[in-house]
Amino acid sequence: MTWVGWRLQRTETFIVVGILALLAALLVPTGIQMANAYHHDGLAACLATSPNPACANAIGGFRQRFQSLLDLGNWFNLVPGLIGVLLAAPFILDLEHGTYRLAWTQSITRKRWLLGKIGMPVGAALVAAAAMIVLFTWWRSSSIHLDGRLDSGNYDFTGTVVIGYTLFALALALALGAIWKRAAASIAVAFIAYFAARIFVDIKVRDHLVAPLKLIYKGSQHPSVLANAHIVSMHGDLNGRRVIGDGGFFFGSTKFAAPRLDNIVFHVVYHPQSHFWPLQLTETGLFVGLAVVLIAFAAWWTTARTA
Amino acid sequence: MNDTAAIRTSGLGKRYGSGWALRDCTLEIPRGSVTALVGPNGAGKTTLLHMVIGLVEPTDGTVEVFGRSPRRDAQDVLPRIAFVAQDHPLHRNLRIGEMLHYGRSLNPSWNQGLAVARIEQLGLSMKQKIGQLSGGQQSQVALTLALAKQPQLLLLDEPVASLDPLARREFLNAVMAAVADDGITVVLSSHIVAELERVCDRLITLAQGATQMDGSIAEIVASHRLLTGPRSDAASVARVHNVIRESHTERQTTLLVRANGHVHDSCWEQHEVDLEEIVLAYLGYQPGNGAAQAPALEEIAS
Amino acid sequence: MIEFHLDKSGVPTYLQLVQQVRQAIRLGILQPGDQLPTVKEVVTRLTINPNTVLHAYRQLDLEGLIEGKRGVGTFVSSDPAPPPPDDLKGLRSSLDRWVGRARAAGLDNEGIAALVAESVRPSSISKVA
Repeated sequence: MTWVGWRLQRTETFIVVGILALLAALLVPTGIQMANAYHHDGLAACLATSPNPACANAIGGFRQRFQSLLDLGNWFNLVPGLIGVLLAAPFILDLEHGTYRLAWTQSITRKRWLLGKIGMPVGAALVAAAAMIVLFTWWRSSSIHLDGRLDSGNYDFTGTVVIGYTLFALALALALGAIWKRAAASIAVAFIAYFAARIFVDIKVRDHLVAPLKLIYKGSQHPSVLANAHIVSMHGDLNGRRVIGDGGFFFGSTKFAAPRLDNIVFHVVYHPQSHFWPLQLTETGLFVGLAVVLIAFAAWWTTARTA
Repeated sequence: MNDTAAIRTSGLGKRYGSGWALRDCTLEIPRGSVTALVGPNGAGKTTLLHMVIGLVEPTDGTVEVFGRSPRRDAQDVLPRIAFVAQDHPLHRNLRIGEMLHYGRSLNPSWNQGLAVARIEQLGLSMKQKIGQLSGGQQSQVALTLALAKQPQLLLLDEPVASLDPLARREFLNAVMAAVADDGITVVLSSHIVAELERVCDRLITLAQGATQMDGSIAEIVASHRLLTGPRSDAASVARVHNVIRESHTERQTTLLVRANGHVHDSCWEQHEVDLEEIVLAYLGYQPGNGAAQAPALEEIAS
Repeated sequence: MIEFHLDKSGVPTYLQLVQQVRQAIRLGILQPGDQLPTVKEVVTRLTINPNTVLHAYRQLDLEGLIEGKRGVGTFVSSDPAPPPPDDLKGLRSSLDRWVGRARAAGLDNEGIAALVAESVRPSSISKVA
């Protein structure tokens, strides 16, 4: 079954390797550029000795060169989804072409077949996810130093969540494929559903996976704990009256200097840097949990309901 | 468990939604026999075969292969049964050699030498891609896959329906050679009766999920008669024999009967009936008297 | 070696094989000690059920015309006794029917005898083989 599982997944595995290779081809040159700039243009040295605001020039220069590239890199969020759904193809094609009947009438049990048919893509997904995490973490290392891991561009790629994303996409495609037995349609819809789920979780769910902290302070001296923190919400009151609403401030490297701020009372709901791993693991757990349920469903539907 | 029957079913039935694909099917297929399963499309042939191989769980009744349940005892039974599904599914982008490797990986009783010898005998090369073979060649590869497993029971679901006459003959020839070599039991479903007579020794007819006839072909042909005579009613004949089909013109009556013993009634002229006529009669075919006709089996074949 | 063939005469397959062997022995195509084709060879040649061939060979064995030697093959018996005419009862009844038709057509006993004599002339026997 091992040989059979591998041989029938060979093409898709090569496609995924190709995608990763393409990714590497895109990321490696620019990554080297950024790493060089980061070290040789003085940012590393600067940030090591003084806090962010003091390095404004160096940082500004870096951002000028690379920020748009880094922002574009957010589109890579689609890659775990793409890889996940593609790896489901051999399973669905087996159902679509009726060759599963061939497998079920050899001498192995259905369970054994299922183990191989689902186990292999899961294994491949895990390996691909690991490769992506390594690649992206390296690529975004300068950004991690600058903006911290909670910055959404970094958060999506440099922790364990990529594992959850890839498995989830795979599981979606497997579940849809088990029901529809049509590879092209299942993969397409699964990919779209992955995209929608990602957006939903990003916007509505992520902030609340771990209880955020609250901070109230006065004046323009932003507490250091807010550096590179992820702001869930904030507002500022002057004499009890709301004067500043959400989205008015950038914390971190830019200092917003204005005397009026000294009297404003800021209420901030945030996740500090230390929440990175709890958030990562919870979100990973969420997606992996969904993946497990979907895979269990696909397995059950295929063995109990299909003939 | 030593059972003389290769397959034994008892009240076997399968329901899909509100309709029964197969109902109350009780049959016994002896070891070493070559049995034809005949009936129009939708009669339940595939459903029956799927339940024998364990692909489908019965709704009612039981099925036993060599005395074991094909689903519950799959691990023991599956190696002894080979199944070639309709349109002989194979992995189209594998090479023949890889398809055999597939068979070897999934069957403990695989005989690689036999498989290789058959492929050579067919004039095919291990490097050819399955998808590039003709329909006849693909069916032969599917058969090779089935026979190399060294089964005791071979189930073929409409194996020759999509093949040209030459490919059909070659396929059946290969099956017959396997029976001669290993004494395997064969059940093949078909809606073409003509060729089955030389290849099969037993026949089962299915129509609308029900079995009507199950017996040896020699016995079936010997026990059926066509009686023709002046127009009369069939009652006197029907008292002794089973009237399968009756038709009347103004002056003549024709009866197809399954005789219980000798037909003594001298006012009837007796003729032998060939197998195809008998089967058609059982499946409901009424020669043109305006009543609804079940389509001729040969027409369904196209 | 005898080569079998089948026709759609309505005669059961095994019986056709039996009759062909009897005829071959009668005509000297098969001599005592000659080997008959194996079951596998007949099956491959004609695409018929092996049980049919076995049935035919068993019948011929019962009639003493052939004998099987384990591990070697099936051979024509060295017993020189001529095979009995096959299907005597069937011949009789079809003869009765034919005679009935001949009379209905207006032939008298002489006319019938003449027809029979003509058809048993040597030149017409070869048609049967």
